[in-house]
Amino acid sequence: MTLGGTFTFAGPRPLVWDLLQDPAVLAKALPGTKTLTRTGDDKFEGTMKVSVGPVTAAEFAVTVTLENRVAPASFAMQIDGKGAIGFTRGTATVDLQEQPESATLMTYSADVLVGGRIAAVGQRLIESVAKMMIRQALDALNKELQSRVQGGA
Amino acid sequence: MATPVIGRRVLRNEDARLLTGRALFVDDVQLPGMLHVAFLRSDFAHGRLKRLDVSAARARPGVVAVYESADLGDYSKPAPLLVNPPPIPGHVFHACTPLPLAKDKVRFVGEPMAMIVAESRYLAEDALRDCVADIEPIDAVIDLEAALAPGAPLVHEHLTSNAAAHVLQRKGNYQQARQAADLLVKRRFLYDRGVAAALENRAVVARWEPRAEELTIWDTTQAPIPIRNGLARMLGLLESQVQVIAPFVGGGFGPKIMMFYPEELLLPWASMQLRRPLKWAEDRQENFYATTQERGQVHDAEMALTRDGRVLGVHDVFLCDTGAYDPYGLTIPINSQCTLLGPYDIPNYESEFTSVFTNRPIVTPVRGAGRQHGVFVSERLLDIAAKELGIDLVEIRKRNLLGPDRFPHNHEIMFQDSAPLIYDSGNYLPTLEHAARAIGYDDFRRTEQARLRAEGKHVGIGIACYVEGTGIGPYEGARVTVEPSGKVRVATGVGTQGQGHFTVFAQVVAEVLGVAVEDVRVVTGDTREFHWGTGTFASRGAVVAGSACHAAAMSVRGKILDLASSVLRVAPDRLELAGGRVRVSGSDDAGIGLGELSGKANPLRGAVRPGTEPGLESTAYFGPDRGSTASGVHAIMVEVDPETAAVAIKRYLVVHDCGTMINPLLVEGQIHGGVAHGIGNAFYEQLVYDEQGQLLNASFMDYLLPTATDVPPIEAAHRETPSPFNALGLKGVGEAGCIPSGAVFAQAVEDALSGYGLEIREIPLSPNRLFELIERARRP
Repeated sequence: MTLGGTFTFAGPRPLVWDLLQDPAVLAKALPGTKTLTRTGDDKFEGTMKVSVGPVTAAEFAVTVTLENRVAPASFAMQIDGKGAIGFTRGTATVDLQEQPESATLMTYSADVLVGGRIAAVGQRLIESVAKMMIRQALDALNKELQSRVQGGA
Repeated sequence: MATPVIGRRVLRNEDARLLTGRALFVDDVQLPGMLHVAFLRSDFAHGRLKRLDVSAARARPGVVAVYESADLGDYSKPAPLLVNPPPIPGHVFHACTPLPLAKDKVRFVGEPMAMIVAESRYLAEDALRDCVADIEPIDAVIDLEAALAPGAPLVHEHLTSNAAAHVLQRKGNYQQARQAADLLVKRRFLYDRGVAAALENRAVVARWEPRAEELTIWDTTQAPIPIRNGLARMLGLLESQVQVIAPFVGGGFGPKIMMFYPEELLLPWASMQLRRPLKWAEDRQENFYATTQERGQVHDAEMALTRDGRVLGVHDVFLCDTGAYDPYGLTIPINSQCTLLGPYDIPNYESEFTSVFTNRPIVTPVRGAGRQHGVFVSERLLDIAAKELGIDLVEIRKRNLLGPDRFPHNHEIMFQDSAPLIYDSGNYLPTLEHAARAIGYDDFRRTEQARLRAEGKHVGIGIACYVEGTGIGPYEGARVTVEPSGKVRVATGVGTQGQGHFTVFAQVVAEVLGVAVEDVRVVTGDTREFHWGTGTFASRGAVVAGSACHAAAMSVRGKILDLASSVLRVAPDRLELAGGRVRVSGSDDAGIGLGELSGKANPLRGAVRPGTEPGLESTAYFGPDRGSTASGVHAIMVEVDPETAAVAIKRYLVVHDCGTMINPLLVEGQIHGGVAHGIGNAFYEQLVYDEQGQLLNASFMDYLLPTATDVPPIEAAHRETPSPFNALGLKGVGEAGCIPSGAVFAQAVEDALSGYGLEIREIPLSPNRLFELIERARRP
């Protein structure tokens, strides 16, 4: 499954960058995240609960490894999720560009393999669920960003 | 004289039990102290199993045992090769059968890695979530051609390629035929995978009884006797210490043949280890991975014809997906190879196949077992050739059918049973004419189709011929006993999965002994009752076990006449059997009931004469040298909506010849079930894998089975060309309903859309795939 898109944050690039590297913020933003902690300089580990169609609230142990970090412009991620009902693994790249009026344009793309029961039963819905989760996460991040921008002002 | 029972539409003896829920299925077996089993299965299609941590599962309360491969010790051996390849000169075959639990490497999604035994199935499944499998993925081998390309990842790394087998069979000289031909048609044909989708999934219950030192296994197998023999050997027990019972089974269709599935091997073993009875019942999702499947093939085929539509020869090169392992040998591709010749006179034939390992579930026969593919290729080539030559579709078939004077017909190649492909008998032209007449073919072609098209209706006819190799050896047996009640007991070794064995075997015996069909009680699939035989597969139950029942009944009849003759002091040739009695011909009251006679055959005093046996009982066997070849024609009428690609089957007609019919009602039942299966194969069912071998539609939400509204009323007509290979003239019918469905469906849809330039070369045609093909054909 490949996912990709753009999103405009209403805030300056360095702040967006910081948000995206902050596990506490990410944990709040990503729907279903129960825990997310930094376990190494470039590594986050946590658990997520995800519902896909008939597969209800499946728990995944997730490891995210950041790579090729070029602050505050771009980074890549290795994502590895394992659960009793299947697995996900994939790579993603995130690119941040400065925009007028101190906005930031994020361009992201991901190539994700989903396997096991979650692929077999939830296949029709995985892509739309994933897109929905990304959209919800980005909206939540943007909200957090705005409160930081206002707080800082 | 008794009314004949063979050939009558007798209602089924077993239905009262089945319809009122009194029949025993494996999952009905409840034993005191029984434990429940779940299997940890691979989520990866291809990968190295680096580490398996089951310690948390072992520690979970309620979990009794967890076994991984290393825990099995010497019992961890590759499963037996089930069918040896026929001795075709020059064939290559690499046998790779699975271990009970994967070790070091996983080769398909669903391959079992650990077995969890717990106090309940709930606890066992909870414990699955405690297990951690560290699997390093390897690129999956999915596409058949890519699998054979140099540098492709290897499913079995001790081999140099993913080729599992290679076979070339030839008759005549195709190259000469090709040179003499006026027309060559060459195409690529695809056929994809589906599941058997039996109503009942697989299930096993195993009980080791330590005091009696006996192992009892209830198993949804189609072949209880080979399973008993194999388990006894592997577990170091006498065959007589092991009893396998295949009770009522809700559909077999092939994947329940003597597979020695991991679950079948492991439950009995673990029951001996734990000294507790164990149960495992497959759930529907597991069935999509853990039960064998069929049908992935790619054919590149060429037909050489004369100007007037006579086939001079066929050349076919095909790839056959065998999945991750190949325990069933070459049965499927050889069936494809042989069945391509169909009812036709094809003097020159060259067929070459490569069987290919892939990271998909194991392939073994599913109803039709490769025959579909051969029929699809030859029928489609005939259709395409007919169009190019301007010959009518029925006419080109008529010109190529083997005539009734050509039997026995030797096709000069070898069949799956290691015997030469020789057709025993057949009369094909009247079958085709019957089908064409019944569907109104001539009128439809002359006026009806054009009239409907003028009304905006896109209606087409498909008509396709096929043969079905049935009733192969090696043998089956039966024991027939007249009990003191006058009722008759028949025991045979084949398993039963809904075919109506309790009725057809009863009819055969009732006819010979002159008793009522409902007074014959049949027992099948219990190795304590009968322990010689092979099983139910290859449309052989009625032919082979039915003939054994007949032979045993004839022997009992001889004993009855002998004893009655001495009791009644009447010559045997003046006696007849009817109404459950031996009667003296021409006399209404003189005679003796079979029950009373059976008492006299088992005296409490006096002596049984030397050279005779007590009781009215005999055991007999039947082993044909080779199978008998059934045949038929399917004709369908469909209406296609070219905008939505919806296909409505207006009529589905089958004219079938399975030799002498024991019970036309049950023959039709087999045809109806087969046609429904075939409609699924042709238009609905397809297992969709992604490029990493993940099955994307492993539920009945996404995997489309035809429903009652998709299966039209089926018109069946019969012809009877008896087989000379058995006393009753029987041929099998189990697979006939689904063999030509792909071919007939493709032809009918093409015909309905004539003028659209559509040429269908693939099955299944899902509604959306047909939509794509129509759109593609429309594009200039």
